[in-house]
Amino acid sequence: MSILRLDQLICGYDSNKPIIKGVSFSVYDGEFVGIVGPNGSGKTTLLRAIIGLLKLQQGSIILSQHRIQHLDRREIARRIAFVPQLMEPVEGFTVEDLVMLGRTPYFERFSFENEDDHEAVKWAVEELKIENLKDRPVTELSGGEFQRVAIARALAQEPKIMLLDEPTSHLDIRYQVKICKLLRKLRAHRSIMATFHDLNLASRYCSRLVLLKNGELIAEGSPEEVVTPQNIWKAYRIKAQVKKNPRTKKARYVLLP
Amino acid sequence: MKKKLNKKEEGIALILLAIFLLFAMVLSLFLGSVFLSPTELFQSEILWQIRLPRVILAALIGLLLSISGVILQGILRNPLADPYILGISAGAGVGAAISIVLGAQFVVFGMSSIPATAFIFALIAVIIVYKLAQVAGKTTPETLILAGVALSAFCAAILALIIIISGSLQSIYFWLLGSLSSATWGNVLTVIPYVLIGAGVAYFYSKELNALLLGEEMATTLGVDVENTRLILIGTASLMTAAAVSVSGLIGFVGLIVPHWIRLVIGPNHRLLIPVSALSGMLLMVVADTMARTVLSPVEIPIGIIMALVGAPFFLYLLRRRRIEGK
Repeated sequence: MSILRLDQLICGYDSNKPIIKGVSFSVYDGEFVGIVGPNGSGKTTLLRAIIGLLKLQQGSIILSQHRIQHLDRREIARRIAFVPQLMEPVEGFTVEDLVMLGRTPYFERFSFENEDDHEAVKWAVEELKIENLKDRPVTELSGGEFQRVAIARALAQEPKIMLLDEPTSHLDIRYQVKICKLLRKLRAHRSIMATFHDLNLASRYCSRLVLLKNGELIAEGSPEEVVTPQNIWKAYRIKAQVKKNPRTKKARYVLLP
Repeated sequence: MKKKLNKKEEGIALILLAIFLLFAMVLSLFLGSVFLSPTELFQSEILWQIRLPRVILAALIGLLLSISGVILQGILRNPLADPYILGISAGAGVGAAISIVLGAQFVVFGMSSIPATAFIFALIAVIIVYKLAQVAGKTTPETLILAGVALSAFCAAILALIIIISGSLQSIYFWLLGSLSSATWGNVLTVIPYVLIGAGVAYFYSKELNALLLGEEMATTLGVDVENTRLILIGTASLMTAAAVSVSGLIGFVGLIVPHWIRLVIGPNHRLLIPVSALSGMLLMVVADTMARTVLSPVEIPIGIIMALVGAPFFLYLLRRRRIEGK
């Protein structure tokens, strides 16, 4: 059953110039979907529309059987968590404080965090293997450490699906791989949808890819189906050769001279 | 590294602070232009009709102004926000003065005319400042302060003009410099409902204020209705400021110094920041008012002067620190 279904989605910042022009696809339980495409193809806009930061112009988003328009903000927040490209570290907060913010959609008006919330935070911290950072001030973390904290915060939200905007773009290659491996592992609990710049990284770790260009979906399927010389030419106007990694059997492109 | 307090330690810290506040209030009762021995004091009108209401009022004003500061700093995501600097106090002052001069007597939703008019003008002031400071949908700390300073000067001029026209030059001091010298039990009763409502709303919105630490968009994705929260909290801060100004004139910097300082010590978690700031604001005002009464005794200094003497350098220090850190 689909966790998230987009149906003929049209949206943008200006009603005359939509950025996403009729995109439809679904995300299923346990998937790690990578959204790829050139700059300006609408990857981030698509995520912002799904999380409700952008009004839809047409089409619908169905979140585990509910039309998203019929859910209030808190109900959406209990089902979708968002990790932005750059989150501001809060001065004076420890890692644990920051992860606890993920529990906000569960707090009632006249009460504060209870046992369930502490359990969820503990679980998220363990999943991301950041127990040793728990009491550190967030302002003192490295980029890679902070990204894991940001993901733990989203996980503490106990969503059905996590959306991540360029989770690897500010990281060195060691952390790029580390974060991707983590996400691949996390998809057992929560479906994951993330945008990527690096096609090879996405192909290596995602279970399915969606290729966007100019706000339209031009290819969708397993990494092998999407990462082809034809699609790369269509999306990026680049001549590339696609090889299979002999060990992982995943498709990866190599630029042609 | 700062040690994080657990729930129990937080409770103990709050109780200690409350005991300290109580101690300061009792001490303050003994100090003043007339010295009285404890036995004389307990039989004297000075204690029951003058000093006691005054000390209590000072504490309540401290709470009102410091919680307004916490709310404004949180909701505007601006560490330099404060009801005085943003011109909300001056706006409220104009409202209160108009109501007094016109002698209007009415009651709306249980609010008597002076705080009600002060509230309306405080709201107008905050909306004007907020709109003026908005550049492409965002407010930067600096433009917000500039807009506040300009509006503040404008409102202070109108306020002074109203007082001069109405013919009571004496009360210009009261209004523009802030004073508790005419504190009465009536004043105490006037502000108590605002203290309870304001502190309650602020405390129960502390999770929204915490989520806003991540920015408005992230707060939205955490299920916070940002528009609604902003409306309620800015309204609450204006209401608290209006109540304070109605009985004590313009007292500046309390709402700036207290939350700022407390945040440096205990961190930005509003669930703790709000009660600790409330108690600290009360303590600060009780101490400042005691100084106002005793330092140049028998002459009394308006409390606003003391707060400005302490607060303005602190504000400049913060401005400079921000520039150095490039934030």
